[in-house]
Amino acid sequence: MEQLIATTLRTSAPIALVALGGVIAWRAGIFHLGLEGLMVIGAFFAVAGTVATGEVLIGLLAAIVACLIASALFWVVIVPMRANAIIAGLGLSIIGVGATSYLLPVLYGKRGILEVDQGLWRPITGVQAGIAGALSELSVMVWLIPAFVLVVWVLVRRTSWGLRLAAVGEHPFAARSAGVDPARMRLVALLACGVLCALGGAALSLGSIVAFRENMTEGRGYIAFTAVIFGGGGPIGAAVASLFFGFAEAVGIQTQLVARDLPVPSQFILMLPYILTIVAVFISGLAAGGRSRLPGAFGELRDG
Amino acid sequence: MSARMARLGPVGRSVALVVASILLVSAVLTLSGFSVLTVANGMWQGAVSAPGAWQMSFRWGAPLFLVAIGVAIALRAGFFNIGGLGQFYVGATAALFVGLGLPGLPAIVVLPLACLAAMAAGALFAFIPGWLRVRYGTDEVITTLMSNFIGTLWLQYVTAVLLKDPSGTGQQTATRPVEEAYRIANVQGVSPVTVGILVAAAILVWLLLERTPFGITSAIAGRNPVMARWQGLRLERVGLLAFLLSGALAGLAGAIEVFGPQGRLVSGFSPQLGFTAVLVAIVGGLNVGGIVLAAAFFGGLQAALLYLPIVTPLPPSALDLLRGTIALLITVTSLSALGRALGRRRARSD
Repeated sequence: MEQLIATTLRTSAPIALVALGGVIAWRAGIFHLGLEGLMVIGAFFAVAGTVATGEVLIGLLAAIVACLIASALFWVVIVPMRANAIIAGLGLSIIGVGATSYLLPVLYGKRGILEVDQGLWRPITGVQAGIAGALSELSVMVWLIPAFVLVVWVLVRRTSWGLRLAAVGEHPFAARSAGVDPARMRLVALLACGVLCALGGAALSLGSIVAFRENMTEGRGYIAFTAVIFGGGGPIGAAVASLFFGFAEAVGIQTQLVARDLPVPSQFILMLPYILTIVAVFISGLAAGGRSRLPGAFGELRDG
Repeated sequence: MSARMARLGPVGRSVALVVASILLVSAVLTLSGFSVLTVANGMWQGAVSAPGAWQMSFRWGAPLFLVAIGVAIALRAGFFNIGGLGQFYVGATAALFVGLGLPGLPAIVVLPLACLAAMAAGALFAFIPGWLRVRYGTDEVITTLMSNFIGTLWLQYVTAVLLKDPSGTGQQTATRPVEEAYRIANVQGVSPVTVGILVAAAILVWLLLERTPFGITSAIAGRNPVMARWQGLRLERVGLLAFLLSGALAGLAGAIEVFGPQGRLVSGFSPQLGFTAVLVAIVGGLNVGGIVLAAAFFGGLQAALLYLPIVTPLPPSALDLLRGTIALLITVTSLSALGRALGRRRARSD
């Protein structure tokens, strides 16, 4: 039981951080399917930076810088160059996974895995037994999740910046009339999203495993995107949804570790979040009066 | 610049952006110390000229083509079906159920049944997001994305539990193989039957899109739904049909995979197929002819990738770099807007 709680927290933290980034992009009206790519780039550069300097903080910084650059490029392609955000986002994800797998042998002469001798700080140490023992495997990033949720919540719900962001996402033409530059708002939103994706990736590669594996995100970025929608586009909803996805993954891990005595095959349990997301999107669409209240269906960003 | 891009026409635009992506990735390869000429030569051998190479290109291009024309049918009608992978997996498992469930029957009975079952399963899997979209306005990008995960887990269940090959010892779980008599192609995937199915699908879809009321209606609906509604077109039916056809074609690709090159099902096979097929549909300009060429190109890349280790130590992820760069750039419509944005910035700083 303690182990299940600890595993749930550990697996949901990277998803939650990326989902918080996704929330900011979502509110700017961007259908960000590039989260997967940014997350894996963050995971890679966090380890690469730590290996190069021996400092975890430098690793985090390297991850953030790499994700900022990737996010800025993504912005250039989808906003000034007007590419379709969905397809370009998928492209960013494929590039992220491809580029990090490519750099592994090219930079380090290694295939598959890059190990590092230190990870993120773990606040609880020196305990073996009980719940504290199980929780001692959690990195500082997991403990900071509530703070991140709070910051993003205040940012999008309680500041004028958040209001302008929502205006850009919901009605760019009106935002422009009010003197807000939608293109610039989207750039800032994507950069903020990039920082959170970098931290999410770092939480994955420096949090518990302390190594970068090829394609180590394994679709978690897409799951984070799902959590954004499942959570209704708000930070608290996204965090709760991430917890739920983390729990589903933890149950999967536990059943593989212990014995397969579940009444239902684990695959069907793992399907549940996706089915529930479809139901949630369906209901939120109904609540909006039969018309989808999501950003433009083809994902194109029109400034009006 | 955008006027120049418009003058290129859709074909020229696609080619120009793919070439630009190839140049970008070539620059990355050169910077990391690989000889682009060696790589290009290896790719040509692996995709075309080496013994068995073009067959492998066909083997990887065939499922891409089928899934991509499905994506194109939906996209022409204005719907974004990115659930090709899930529909492909569900179709493949349905085909396998028929293939393993009717032992002793002649292939001439089993194969058409299996293909129909696969198409029905794929169509049903696409029907759910399609129906939610046209009837209730539920965003289809999200629902089809989710359906990919569901389809992948379903395939995992079938390979790891339901039809697991008890003799299998490998790391990947796989199902029992279908009978040798039912196979329509060997590992290389080229046979009169597979070529015949693909040619028939290409001709039928071309006729459907260019020569039937459905094709015309869906094109109007995709370009301008408001006008289509004013003209009294029944968009719900057109949209739903587009989703059903899209899923059926992906399902058919799954059936070919089962009775063709694979002969059984392996958990999580061809995981990139769904997204690559979206790319093929768009690079191919949503036309059957263009998609044939684009599927051949991407199929060739896949085949070349498996051959490349013989000539160069290039990591296989280089292909993802190219695929991703093409996806990032292929829908770029305006370079002039970029110029304007930069110009404005310069003007402001002056």
